[in-house]
Amino acid sequence: MSAVATAHPAPAMPRLALGRTGTAVALLLPIALINAIGFVLPVLNLLRMSFNEALAGGGVREAFILSNWTGLFGDSFYLELIVNSVSVSLGITFLTLVVSYPIALYLHRSSGRWRTFLTVLVISPLLTSAVVRTYGWIALLADQGPIVSAIAALGITPPRLMFNTTGVVIGLTEILMPYMILSLLAGFGRLDPRVEEAAMTLGAPPAKTFWRVILPLTLPGIALGCLLCFVLAVSSFITPKLLGGGRVFLLATEIYDQAIVTLNWPLAATLSILVLVIFGAALAVYARVLRVIE
Amino acid sequence: MTKLQTLLGVSALAFAASTPAFAETVTLAAYSGIFQDHYVKAVVEPFMKAHPNIKVEFYGMPNSAQMLGTLRAQKTAPQIDVVIMDVSVSKAGTDEGLFDKIDESVSKNVADLYPAARAEGVNGVAVTFDNLVLLYNKDQVKAAPTSWNALWDKQYAGKVAIPAVPDIQGTTLTIITNKMAGGDDYKKSVEAGIKKLGELAPNVQTWDPKPDVYAPISNGQASLGIGWNARAQVYANSSGGKLGVVLPQEGSGFQINTINLVKNAPSSSAAKTFIDYALKPETQAAFTEAMFYAPTNSKAKISDAALARTAAGAMDKMIAIDWIAVAGIRDGITEQWRRRIIPLSR
Repeated sequence: MSAVATAHPAPAMPRLALGRTGTAVALLLPIALINAIGFVLPVLNLLRMSFNEALAGGGVREAFILSNWTGLFGDSFYLELIVNSVSVSLGITFLTLVVSYPIALYLHRSSGRWRTFLTVLVISPLLTSAVVRTYGWIALLADQGPIVSAIAALGITPPRLMFNTTGVVIGLTEILMPYMILSLLAGFGRLDPRVEEAAMTLGAPPAKTFWRVILPLTLPGIALGCLLCFVLAVSSFITPKLLGGGRVFLLATEIYDQAIVTLNWPLAATLSILVLVIFGAALAVYARVLRVIE
Repeated sequence: MTKLQTLLGVSALAFAASTPAFAETVTLAAYSGIFQDHYVKAVVEPFMKAHPNIKVEFYGMPNSAQMLGTLRAQKTAPQIDVVIMDVSVSKAGTDEGLFDKIDESVSKNVADLYPAARAEGVNGVAVTFDNLVLLYNKDQVKAAPTSWNALWDKQYAGKVAIPAVPDIQGTTLTIITNKMAGGDDYKKSVEAGIKKLGELAPNVQTWDPKPDVYAPISNGQASLGIGWNARAQVYANSSGGKLGVVLPQEGSGFQINTINLVKNAPSSSAAKTFIDYALKPETQAAFTEAMFYAPTNSKAKISDAALARTAAGAMDKMIAIDWIAVAGIRDGITEQWRRRIIPLSR
């Protein structure tokens, strides 16, 4: 850079800076426009809808009432729904992290063709839609399915693995694993094998090396993966709908029911805005965690 | 005559010659899937044969709510002329000013419709009647059940599939159960029904069968369930003898699909011609023969074989459900299910 600066003396600099701002604006304009039309406007529309009045039977009357919002926080069902959604999603995120971390670490350490092959294996589930994969889980977890039969063969009374929270957690964990593994890999950049070797050389046992060296260095990847999986878990509704058997009440499935079955659009809009607030909170936590790590 | 004039003249002639075949296009929105397959064959195609200058485009949508959503979005410039949807959604559409009134001035056939086909405050009229039925897997349930009480049989614990409220199959079951449990007028209270359904809950495998209730019972994942008669009859035919359908001795309740004329629709006059055709006794009979929905026109002549597979033979046992009144108490029923029925099945 300094070589360039000396080659083109002072007069060129302001023009360059101005050009950069102009270029930046020009480059940002399309995405800003698309975002305004495709995201900000619809969200504002949703916000407006959340103050409309729902008529019995599904009609919507233009109004400006607060009852959708006050009703939400005055009703134990909806409070339970929020707590349930957040806790189930956190549980799924944690489980996804635990099963994905070793895979990501192994992938990070492998090299050459083997690594390419493994990466393709990790990504390949994303080529199939979540609906198809969920139906796969239905076949596996069904009462007469292979997993339940295997448990029964061991002489244990098999638990219900489907049409309850267990089924939703199993299905979503598997579906979110590729996202977690890819995020972890992206965040593993700072993990240098020489640092591990140094720790081992200095006499740290493997467990200590992991806790004191590897884990802290991979925290950025963990934070990114957790944020992504949490947001995807809160907003996914097909898998809970198919594997929940109507017993698992989550925000996403409730929004679907209110919008599509009960036709209560104002309530559906209110719940959607609430989910957006939860996403905002998750992002804030993520930003905070990143700052602490740095 | 210049070349241009010749060209214009020829193309105008060609245009004039080609257009009369389809002078107008009526866009009909209704359920996709097997409803669409049967309705196109039994009603739409014969209509186009009888009216060669009108073309009907069938625009299939998975449910009434989606149709209402589309109509709302197109309110200022409708693209759809005629909609077939559930009566309670039709009421919501009427309240929002989306439909024109269908009466004797639109179709003389309206005069021949059963009284239940015309609901107060709904601008559309009924085009099909359906009813809730008991479904069973013939391999797993050897003797055909005759009563709704089979659902409560401990023998089938974990093998019952019930589409729960807010799905109106769950609402209909609530009203039937309320009557069975000795409850009074369902419009005042369904307390007795809610209590009795709480006892059913431990038997239930899923409250949200997917893709619909007919598939898991046909393939043996569930043994018993509830569903709509017309679809059940069609799937019973195609299930290779696995799916059994019963109209229980305690009777049942009707579901009503209405046909609606969209306000300010692009081809209103052709749309009226189609609605008139859809309500004719012959058309009503043809669709009943094809898909076992009960006809809404009292003059429709149905074969005994098809009639036996609808609720028409058991009219005295049917509960008249006032869906417009139910729309007002639906939220309360949903709340009771979520607090006092579904949690008992965990």
